[in-house]
Amino acid sequence: MASKVPTQPGTRKPTHPGHGKRHCLKILQKLSLYLDDELSGEVCTEIRAHLGACPNCEIFLDSLRQTITLCRHCQPHTLSSSDRAILRRQILKSAASA
Amino acid sequence: MDFDRVYREYVDLIYRFAHRLCGETEAAKDIVQETFLNAYKGLKDFRGESQLSTWLYAIASHACIRMRRKRKGEPDRELSLEEFIPTSDGEFKLQIPIDGLSPEEALQNKELRRILNQAIETLPPQYRMVLVLRDMEGLSAKEVGSIMRLNERAVKSRLHRARLFVRKELSNKGLTATLPKKSNTKQK
Repeated sequence: MASKVPTQPGTRKPTHPGHGKRHCLKILQKLSLYLDDELSGEVCTEIRAHLGACPNCEIFLDSLRQTITLCRHCQPHTLSSSDRAILRRQILKSAASA
Repeated sequence: MDFDRVYREYVDLIYRFAHRLCGETEAAKDIVQETFLNAYKGLKDFRGESQLSTWLYAIASHACIRMRRKRKGEPDRELSLEEFIPTSDGEFKLQIPIDGLSPEEALQNKELRRILNQAIETLPPQYRMVLVLRDMEGLSAKEVGSIMRLNERAVKSRLHRARLFVRKELSNKGLTATLPKKSNTKQK
């Protein structure tokens, strides 16, 4: 269990020690670059160290990875062959009258 | 370069892209028509400085932007990172039961497909375009930048916000139906 951090009345308690809003935002800013392998080794090590110590951030990263994967596998809409032919005719007709 | 060959090779790609951007069949066909009409006119001047597909994506993107302006939709909204920071423990996890499923298995669920499409359609347009080009069409950040006339840093920044937005929308909507379990999963 994480030790409680003393706070001023009316302020939000962090969900994990060292997991205050500013630190969270700093990690959050880099997660896409991290997942896309666009960060230096040093920064990746820093992020991995944080993830190892912070289950919530690790869960969040996993959820972002799942989201990206779903987007990548989203089924596309396709044209029927008759629609393709109709569109082609319309395009050539417009081109001829231009 | 032969127009018919270009049309045959790229009409499906442009239609798929247009439909992902605007979410409507007839509007997507209009974008295809405008794109290939412009391509027909400009093909003789195409010098191959970019890939043909990149050129066509750019034409289609601008067609889509023009269509949106004509419709006078809601103004572009900026997304800030702060709105995506979880504020309670329950918000870190994606509230959709897809653990252990492949994306293909998960997307067999009609409701998941619906809320995913809805999440993408709800994205402000300047973010939706980046997400579609990068994550769905598979273009590099550099190619997306040349299409949208943005530097790579701006592309990556928008992409990140777009992904966070979709993640939050998926989580907020949740799923009412339980997704099918993998057939080789051990039952307790």
